[in-house]
Amino acid sequence: MNKLQLVSAVAAAVLAGGMTAAQAQEYPVDTVTLVTHSSPGGGSDVFLRELSRYLSPYLGANVIVENVSGGSGAKAMAQLAQAPADGSTFYATTPTFIYTSLLSDPEYKYTDLEPLVNFFIDPEVIYTSAKGEFRTLEDVIQYARDGRGQWGAANPASLERQALEQLKAAAGVNAAVVTHEGGGDMMINVLNGTLQIGVGEVQEIQSQIEAGELRLLATFSENRLDSFPDLPTVKETGYDVVVRKFRGLAGPKGLPADVIAAWEAATQKVLADPEYRQAYEGANLRAEFIPHADYVKFIDAFGAETADFLKKTGVIE
Amino acid sequence: MLTRDFVGGVASIAIGAVYLIFSYQLRTSALDDSMGPGGLPRVYGWLLVGLGAILTTQGIVSRRLAVAGGEKGTGEKGEWDGQGRKLLFAAGLLAIGVGYIFVVETLGYLLSVAVLLLVTALYLGAGNKARVLAVATLGAVFLWVMFVIVLGVRMPSGLLASLGL
Amino acid sequence: METLTHTAAFLLDWHVILAALIGVTWGIMGGALPGISPSITMALLLPFTYTLDPTSAIVLLASTYIGAEYGGSVPAILIRTPGTNAAAATVIDGYEMNRQGKAGLALGISLYSGVIGSLFGLAMLMTLSGPLAQVALAFTPMAYFALGVLGLSVIATLSGENLVKGLIAAILGLIIATIGSDPVTGGTRFTFGSPELLGGIEPVMIMVGLFAMSELLVQAGKRGQDERVTSRPRIQFPDWPLAKRLIPAQLIGNGIGTVEGVMPGAGGTIASFMSYNEARRWSRYPEEFGKGSPEGIAAPETANNTVAETALVPLLSFGIPGSNSTAILLGGFLIHGIVPGPMLFQKSGEVVYGLYAGLFTAAIGQLFIGMAMLPVCIWLVNRPRPYLNAFIFALILSGIYSIHSEAFDLGIMIAAGVLGFFMRMLRFPFLPTVLGLVLGYLVESNLRRSLVLSGDDWMIFVDDRISLGLLILSFLFIGGSIAKRAYGVLRHRSSSTFAENAES
Repeated sequence: MNKLQLVSAVAAAVLAGGMTAAQAQEYPVDTVTLVTHSSPGGGSDVFLRELSRYLSPYLGANVIVENVSGGSGAKAMAQLAQAPADGSTFYATTPTFIYTSLLSDPEYKYTDLEPLVNFFIDPEVIYTSAKGEFRTLEDVIQYARDGRGQWGAANPASLERQALEQLKAAAGVNAAVVTHEGGGDMMINVLNGTLQIGVGEVQEIQSQIEAGELRLLATFSENRLDSFPDLPTVKETGYDVVVRKFRGLAGPKGLPADVIAAWEAATQKVLADPEYRQAYEGANLRAEFIPHADYVKFIDAFGAETADFLKKTGVIE
Repeated sequence: MLTRDFVGGVASIAIGAVYLIFSYQLRTSALDDSMGPGGLPRVYGWLLVGLGAILTTQGIVSRRLAVAGGEKGTGEKGEWDGQGRKLLFAAGLLAIGVGYIFVVETLGYLLSVAVLLLVTALYLGAGNKARVLAVATLGAVFLWVMFVIVLGVRMPSGLLASLGL
Repeated sequence: METLTHTAAFLLDWHVILAALIGVTWGIMGGALPGISPSITMALLLPFTYTLDPTSAIVLLASTYIGAEYGGSVPAILIRTPGTNAAAATVIDGYEMNRQGKAGLALGISLYSGVIGSLFGLAMLMTLSGPLAQVALAFTPMAYFALGVLGLSVIATLSGENLVKGLIAAILGLIIATIGSDPVTGGTRFTFGSPELLGGIEPVMIMVGLFAMSELLVQAGKRGQDERVTSRPRIQFPDWPLAKRLIPAQLIGNGIGTVEGVMPGAGGTIASFMSYNEARRWSRYPEEFGKGSPEGIAAPETANNTVAETALVPLLSFGIPGSNSTAILLGGFLIHGIVPGPMLFQKSGEVVYGLYAGLFTAAIGQLFIGMAMLPVCIWLVNRPRPYLNAFIFALILSGIYSIHSEAFDLGIMIAAGVLGFFMRMLRFPFLPTVLGLVLGYLVESNLRRSLVLSGDDWMIFVDDRISLGLLILSFLFIGGSIAKRAYGVLRHRSSSTFAENAES
């Protein structure tokens, strides 16, 4: 992993120039920095840079992206927790920051930050090779029941792994959950038949689905997906497992009320922007605005649930 | 007695033993595979201890053979000749490097790298004082332009932050 | 044929030409700075690509990758510091040639071998990406484990005079590779509570420490004794007899580079070490290896540039990045709304043809840009020792700092330098350590992954055909080199293979 930090000041200048951010001056600071633990070109990084392009006019401030990628988010959290709570710096949250907080017990944890708002919930889907024999999730579960299932999770100790372990428990089968070093690695093992199923975000496997090389079996989301209305949810299939991979922002503790209000308004507006909407829907992201008050509770509940899972499985004390 | 192989072997055993102690302390969890996080580290640790023992033995045996062959003392003396001096000079350079680590974040990159160039060049025996100063200044500016301006790497600005650098 | 005509149309597109030339120049610079890896060099350009059209953006990033893979060999030859991980194998004979006053020739060989690697890799990418993608697909975790073992089997020949010392050095590398997050559970190992170690130790920090820092420490002990041979600041390409001699080594580099590049996760470092080893095995002058053999530069440099091209196969065919560098390239595609994968050719064929044309331009451009830049570099390393060494010291401290902006990493690099200093004093070889470091994670994660798959049945490595084949090959290699050693001992020939270990 390369974990270089760089402030993309040049990009910011270019973007700001195009957006004439100075049009609305009600936001308390001129420049907002969004910090991500993702390295340049990584999933969260691309997402944030895209977002920052559309967000500036709605927020009334320049929005730039900074990569602080040491220690899977540990470094970014430390930087954020010590930053001034004036609305100038935020951290792009994904479940990773909760896992890192719990697994490696860094000095500053997710509990030292204040969740701001949520933008998206990425749908996590179960997929299999189109050449394979499995047509439904039930086929896969049955196969695992009869013998030894082999299921893939993209990363060790990740949300995907947790989802599969929960599915295993709910179905009462003994499948091997094989962890990888990222979604691509796992996809190869699904395509070549080493694994029966893999779990990942739709955007990662979009091209393979279009080419008819992978088949979707179920989604871990609460409701069916708009882009795949025929795809059942795991819950419908009879296993009560729901996964919510969130993408939002968090700031230092004690954010002022006007900053929060500005973000709540700007977030809803940018998500409704037709051009941006086309871009994110094309990338299979599902907008799910969660206002500040609810998001704080959401992150707390998510953290508690994850901690509970990790304790039960004995990964942490 | 102290041949290079003997010292190397003993060092390997020591490193292996320390590593083994830590690898036996690794936590186990229900998400572990049967090998677990400690599986291979234990193998590596034992291999290191074992190989270290072989090397130590080799060291002793070849020394015995050499002594039996009649080249008394010469081997050992030649083996370590001048190493103390080399070690001392290396330690000096090491101290400069460690010093850099401690000052870089307070002094800032530009200043610390200039000092580093100056001190290192003098330490390594550069004679011409004016030239050393010129090389240190120009070298530091060159590196600063390269890393900070051209590549956009975030180096610590330290004291110079107030000057806007 | 169709591919060629489509590609040819882009060869005159000045956007593509400009992007390729800027990319390759930038790449050589970044690659030549120790610590600045190809992926960092590319990432630094990423913000600029927003404003470009998709084809220029992709060409810019891909050309940077090629330039950086080549650029790593420059400091490897000139100052014994691999600028990139994949250049570690070039240090051996490259620096040796430099010490003999043949820096110009060494750089010339690495430059033109790099160009050959790029062009060959590009040809493979354009004509065989379908079949090559199938090779990538056939590699299961078992096969990756076996590939790692095959890579480790090279230790037997890289160990120098004493196999036991080589093995100890290799295990040190494997041990360093276990620091960080556990590949299966994600828990932390040997991090002693420091967040800086969570992501593991970057191999380049250890390599720079072992090679460059230890060299500085040794030089510090020899002040005033400047007996080195300086080279004329001119690039020199080999004459025909030498060029002919290099052909087998380059073919080996091409072959191994093509296969390794295609496999996600394998990468250029393994390819260059294996090519080095094979080039030595098949060379007519194996005794020159380690003492400044031109083939010892040609083979790894051809291999790592071939990898830079064929690594695009899994990215374009599946949308799977096999390395950090191709991950950045994937980011470049995604920024412009292009999704690499099976539908790429139907949906954005033009971008791919533009990319091919850009890669070709970059490969040719590399030759001329290299010729223009290198004499300056040789002139720089001809400066008096104290100044040169002070500058190298400052350069590596700056380069390593820029990886994570952590002073902590400088400590790791210096510690590796101290380790290297004592390894040299006690006559342990470095190369097995580097190999263990690079392969440790690949071997461990795939071994454990395979055992999870099979429910702890070791027969899975025999049942998988590719794995079986590679394992048999590794045992043959190991058996062969042990037999050769035994033969050598019998003939009382203490073959000190690597001058690299000697302290002089």
